[in-house]
Amino acid sequence: MVGLSYAAVPLYRLYCQATGLGGTTSAGQGEERIESMRPVRERVVKVTFNADVHTSIQWNFRPQQTEIYVVPGETALAFYKAKNPTDKPIIGISTYNVVPFEAGQYFNKIQCFCFEEQRLNPQEEVDMPVFFYIDPEFAEDPKMAKVDLITLSYTFFEAKEGQKLPLPGYQ
Amino acid sequence: MSTAMNFSTKSFKARPPDKGAFPLDHFGECAAFKEQFLECLRESGSESSACRPRAMAYLQCRMERQLMANEPLEKLGFKDLIDEKPEAKPEKL
Repeated sequence: MVGLSYAAVPLYRLYCQATGLGGTTSAGQGEERIESMRPVRERVVKVTFNADVHTSIQWNFRPQQTEIYVVPGETALAFYKAKNPTDKPIIGISTYNVVPFEAGQYFNKIQCFCFEEQRLNPQEEVDMPVFFYIDPEFAEDPKMAKVDLITLSYTFFEAKEGQKLPLPGYQ
Repeated sequence: MSTAMNFSTKSFKARPPDKGAFPLDHFGECAAFKEQFLECLRESGSESSACRPRAMAYLQCRMERQLMANEPLEKLGFKDLIDEKPEAKPEKL
């Protein structure tokens, strides 16, 4: 399972930004989707939250809710919290994973805190929101018919200038 | 069920968020709105639909404080909450 998270890491280099605000061609389509989609109330999905830190980073990082019940087609908000308990600023960068992985294609993050460097000053603690939705097409996919639990996992790594994140087995 | 050692061509493809990352709320300016939202989750049995008004309030807080790009609320999926007609809330228990 950890291997899957590492496989996602190279994407941060593709999307690593100065602006921090999307700018991908999917953004406009995403907005239309969000505005026009309708909740599928008969398909309640439980979303649970994992938080991990790579051994390289000394942050405390945890979800602020253990679970949330959502329906496809409706936007949802959830929170993580991160603290830097050390006396030095630390820059972290996170990636995420969705299980079951086949559900990941329907899991859309509108905005969150991943794939971009986040700097916490010494002793600083911040809320980290995730704003997401499950695409309504999830409810029409027969392969998803028995899926009523999705787990969202974020992992933070320490980001240092010029450092490449470790990719075990993928070098 | 797939396993971590799945050697097929399928693999989890993490995608960046549509609108990028939230700036960090270094000063906790919207922490009160977050607390109200989490309180709603606790009281509603973790039901996202029931707490959407407070989720919207949190995001509005961010927008007002430059902690999020200003967006019309319809584009964030809150069209039903901002419509002028009177609202019934059948999901509330």
